[in-house]
Amino acid sequence: MSTLDEKAQAGMDDHAAHGGDGKASGAGGFIILFFIIGFAASMVLGWVIFPKLLYSQKQQPLNFNHALHVEEVGEGCQACHYFREDGSFSGIPKLAQCTECHEEPMGDTEDEAIFVEQYVTKDREVPWLSYSRQPDCVFFSHAAHVIGAKMDCVVCHGHIGESEVSRPYEYNRLTGYSRDIWGKNIAGFKRNSWDRMKMDDCAACHKEADAIHDVSVQTQRGHCYVCHK
Amino acid sequence: MKHEQTHGTPMKYGMAIDLDKCTGCGACMVACMAENNIPFKEDESEKLVSITWMRIFKLSNGKSFPDLDICYLPRPCQHCEGHGGHSPCVSVCPATATDYSQETGIVSQIVTRCFGCRYCMGACPYHARYFNWWDPVWPDGMEKYLSPNVSPRMRGVVEKCSFCYHRYQLAKNKAYLNGGRRVPEEAYQTACTQACPAGAIVFGDLNNPEHQVHQIVKPDPDNGNRSRNDRAFRLLERTGTNTKVYYLSSREWVRRAGDNYLAHEKTGQVAKLHH
Amino acid sequence: MKVDRRSFLSFVIGGAAGTALSPLPWKLMDDSSIWSQMWPWTPVPPDGEVVYENSTCSLCPGGCGISVRKVDNRAVKIEGRPGHPVNDGSICILGLSGLQMLYGPTRIKSPMKRIGERGEGKWQKISWDEAIAILTEKLTDIRDKGEAHTVAAIAGSDSGTVPALIRRFMTAYGSPNFMRSPSQRDVDELAVKALFGGDGRTGFDVENADYILSFGSGFVDGWGSPVRMFKAASLWKEKNITVVQVEPRLSNSAAKATRWVPLNPGTEADLALGIAAVLVDENMLDTRAVSGLGSWKNDLLAAYATEKVSQTTGVAAGVIVDLAKGFAGANRPLALCGRGKGLVSGSLRETAAVYLLNALSGNINREGGMWAMPEADYIQWPDVATDNLASAGLVQPRLDGAGTGKYADARYLTNRLADSVNGGGPYPMQALLVAGANPCHDLPDTQRVRAAFARIPFIVSFSSFQDETAAMADLLMPDHVYLERYEDVPIGAGLAQQMIGLSKPVVSPQFNTRHLGEVLIATAMAMGGSIANAFPWDDYETCLEETLAEKWDSLMETGVWVQADTEPVADTFQLAGMDAPAVQAEGDVNSFPLLLVPYDAIQLTSGYVGEAPFMIKAVADTVIKGTDGFIEVNPQTARAAGLAEGERARLTTPRGEAQVCVHLFEGIQPGVLAMVRGLGHTAYDGHLAGKGVNINELIGPVEDPSTGFDAAWGIRAKLAKA
Repeated sequence: MSTLDEKAQAGMDDHAAHGGDGKASGAGGFIILFFIIGFAASMVLGWVIFPKLLYSQKQQPLNFNHALHVEEVGEGCQACHYFREDGSFSGIPKLAQCTECHEEPMGDTEDEAIFVEQYVTKDREVPWLSYSRQPDCVFFSHAAHVIGAKMDCVVCHGHIGESEVSRPYEYNRLTGYSRDIWGKNIAGFKRNSWDRMKMDDCAACHKEADAIHDVSVQTQRGHCYVCHK
Repeated sequence: MKHEQTHGTPMKYGMAIDLDKCTGCGACMVACMAENNIPFKEDESEKLVSITWMRIFKLSNGKSFPDLDICYLPRPCQHCEGHGGHSPCVSVCPATATDYSQETGIVSQIVTRCFGCRYCMGACPYHARYFNWWDPVWPDGMEKYLSPNVSPRMRGVVEKCSFCYHRYQLAKNKAYLNGGRRVPEEAYQTACTQACPAGAIVFGDLNNPEHQVHQIVKPDPDNGNRSRNDRAFRLLERTGTNTKVYYLSSREWVRRAGDNYLAHEKTGQVAKLHH
Repeated sequence: MKVDRRSFLSFVIGGAAGTALSPLPWKLMDDSSIWSQMWPWTPVPPDGEVVYENSTCSLCPGGCGISVRKVDNRAVKIEGRPGHPVNDGSICILGLSGLQMLYGPTRIKSPMKRIGERGEGKWQKISWDEAIAILTEKLTDIRDKGEAHTVAAIAGSDSGTVPALIRRFMTAYGSPNFMRSPSQRDVDELAVKALFGGDGRTGFDVENADYILSFGSGFVDGWGSPVRMFKAASLWKEKNITVVQVEPRLSNSAAKATRWVPLNPGTEADLALGIAAVLVDENMLDTRAVSGLGSWKNDLLAAYATEKVSQTTGVAAGVIVDLAKGFAGANRPLALCGRGKGLVSGSLRETAAVYLLNALSGNINREGGMWAMPEADYIQWPDVATDNLASAGLVQPRLDGAGTGKYADARYLTNRLADSVNGGGPYPMQALLVAGANPCHDLPDTQRVRAAFARIPFIVSFSSFQDETAAMADLLMPDHVYLERYEDVPIGAGLAQQMIGLSKPVVSPQFNTRHLGEVLIATAMAMGGSIANAFPWDDYETCLEETLAEKWDSLMETGVWVQADTEPVADTFQLAGMDAPAVQAEGDVNSFPLLLVPYDAIQLTSGYVGEAPFMIKAVADTVIKGTDGFIEVNPQTARAAGLAEGERARLTTPRGEAQVCVHLFEGIQPGVLAMVRGLGHTAYDGHLAGKGVNINELIGPVEDPSTGFDAAWGIRAKLAKA
């Protein structure tokens, strides 16, 4: 910052050296005004416009009512999101799993009709947009967290299980990552544990849970391969 | 509460490669390429820029016809432990992109962390590290066989053998499901070990007396983890890299080829260290 | 209000301060660094449920069980199938590369007809209906003129239902001209017939032998069923048994052997007979299984006295005696033959001489010995009821001369095809069907083969790949690759057991290809009459299921069927074939002072399928560098020619010449040059085409006078600075 001040000072001196013209004090007011305008404009740009530009939105192919499904199927989340025999996590269900119940339309909502007509009858997978997809270099083990550490789904996924409509999927235009991963709040503030899932968030939680494995020679913390592939 | 991960003996994954059995067929190389999404170009004959996490070297006893003898030596990353995990590459990485795990003994390489300075390549005495000079391009349609278990790399980063660490990750998933954490010997084997038609590669935990690799190598912790097997040697053992890949051969000239011996030095003789 | 310079600067500073306090620069910095870590053009392989599908690999005759890892519907990796009787979980470099063939860009993606000049590469996509119509029309035309016999077919093998369907089609159509790609199997079948008096092949119980004497068989270079042999070689090491490799070059097999015995190229038969003579002379025999030894003993001793053999072979007399004693002293000694991978038909004299050693040690149809295995006989279809046109065609002589006159015992003489088409045959060939074979690259003297192909008016290729033969075709009717189709895989390849593997579709067909069996059935239907009647199946799968009958269920379940007990062809070994003259290398010693011998490498397929990029990547830079191919030269020979390592040289043989690079190798006898077989492709894409030299451009077939088979083991050559 000192460099800026010095330059500003140099500019003043420069002006004074040319003799001035008596309007200096009035110009000083304008100077502050312009400073404020510039400041305000860039703040608006940075806080309001930029986030809108940075993130793009997509709608899910059809609305999915989690609340209704949880109520209907019982068993909670694992009725549809379960562990496979090899210990991997199934994630978003495939069409085959849906058609176990939805061979024929169930109920008469518009989304149900779209689902059955567009996907079930045509045997086409629904191109769901995953809010929680980590980048390709990340190995995330649901088994370690859900079975090993007995964590609740809500800790990372929030209350999606209670949602009645699918909110728009927001993704970062530059990185292509979901906003759920990349940070809901543009300033980086987290209100809930599920507001952001970047590496630091993983690390913070691991530290809190005292799950740091202190086996890394480089960092004396967890080893990179714990979460990377 | 400290998590169980740090409980029990730490593992030290390593290999024993029997050079008397190795035929140099290249199955390990290709198993590795197929397992780890390793890219290829039209011309791969410039071996310095040909990415092969596992590479076979041809050794010769240097004699003339008909006394010539040859031997093949497969070279994965040697996963050096050095002293306390300070392997040559880990020590020089300014980006914390490569790391040594005291839990598994595996030297990791996180390509998204790497910024391509290539210090590690200079530091590695085994040429086990490769730089991506180009973005990988799979011929039309071939990207279909890419495995989701290993992230494809981009240009400008260094990559190397990970002892198929993703297989450990997956095996651990299954262990969790079965209510444990320990990964059984047969549940975590590298792609090269699995493929080798000559059964020349044995992989497992060098710290675990029940693992075959331990029984073959019989590492001596009081002697810098040198093997107590007369047939065994490590590459450039005397530099103290303390590698976890042991080679076996009944031929002395092969064992001698594993290090730079002076004419008067006996094979396996440790040079006097000057402190 | 005038915006002066100071106001403007103030605005800028305000803007800068505001920007710094907003997330914009920090977020952008973070995002762009992430963007640069994960370029959008780097593929992200989709994740999904992992399943393993079992099948059988048919890329070589080995018959390994494979387990294909799939993520949802994508095949991502081929692994060996644990517990399989052939390979028990292991796999070779070729098997591992299968997915690069399945998903590779050199697949032929749809039926096509030629619209440009032959070999120009101009094609037009057509429908399957049109392709079958074109084929039907052409074949009907020829047949209606009473010239059905002028149509020929070349298949990769003649065992299993698909080759049997081709042969059946040819029979119903009226042509005797069914051929298969040459291999050591040719001479092996003939030897079994001559020595044991029945149809069959040999099997070697390598796992239980306790002394191996290999006459150039590349037991770790791809001979027999490759993975099984790799495993056996390791077993030999573990059991510490003696393995002797006799061959002029230090191959990988020679390097793995306990003893390498270099000999003059082409004198393997002499050495084998020389060893036999020592066995006879020293009475180290077990003659129970050998008939007719009596007077022949004296002929043998006279013709193959140790000193004389030593002179011919270049192997010291002491070594010959040593080998004989080692062989006779072992409990279950086993002699193997067929150079390298056994890609050449081979000489009857050599084969019979090596098999004689097994017989003299009493090691026939015994544990650890050589077995005379009967042919697999599970294909029991009713005879074809031929119409008059077909019957007239079938009595015509074959184009290659096999089965008649001096070639009475040979089934196929595919090596004689080129000469026959080029004018030496009994009649011109009017159409050729090629399936699972690439004769334009794999047959010796490729120029002559290409010239012959240029004379054939109509060529149909059923190849899945854009290979050299497909490039010469008029009609392409691409078959599925093995991972997309059902097929029975009878496993011969030197196994001392009868086994059948089953290939199953692991993924759905990737392109508009069609199973060759289906195409044959459809074409037969379209031709109608007695041809249609010969194909009573609705589709190939029905045909396969009916043919395999009671084996089908167990094959579907376990993927492999193993016959519990096999009755050998015969237990008595008759002496035959060993008095034929030796096969000499083509060329004149004065003009061509050196000898060029091909060698086989496991990194190259040396067969119908072209090498996948992964395989080429595993080839050493002393074999291919850029597009240059290397020959191995003893430093002494190189020095005489003024050539240094890596230097370019002109290699000339009586059949052709090529530019090669020199690789100095002490593992080869002075005066002998070695070149790997399988390179020098002109088809496929840039990952394979143009790399190295095709040795078939430099070498021609040399007929074994006793059988007609190609028994060329090398050719005379000269080498000069380029």
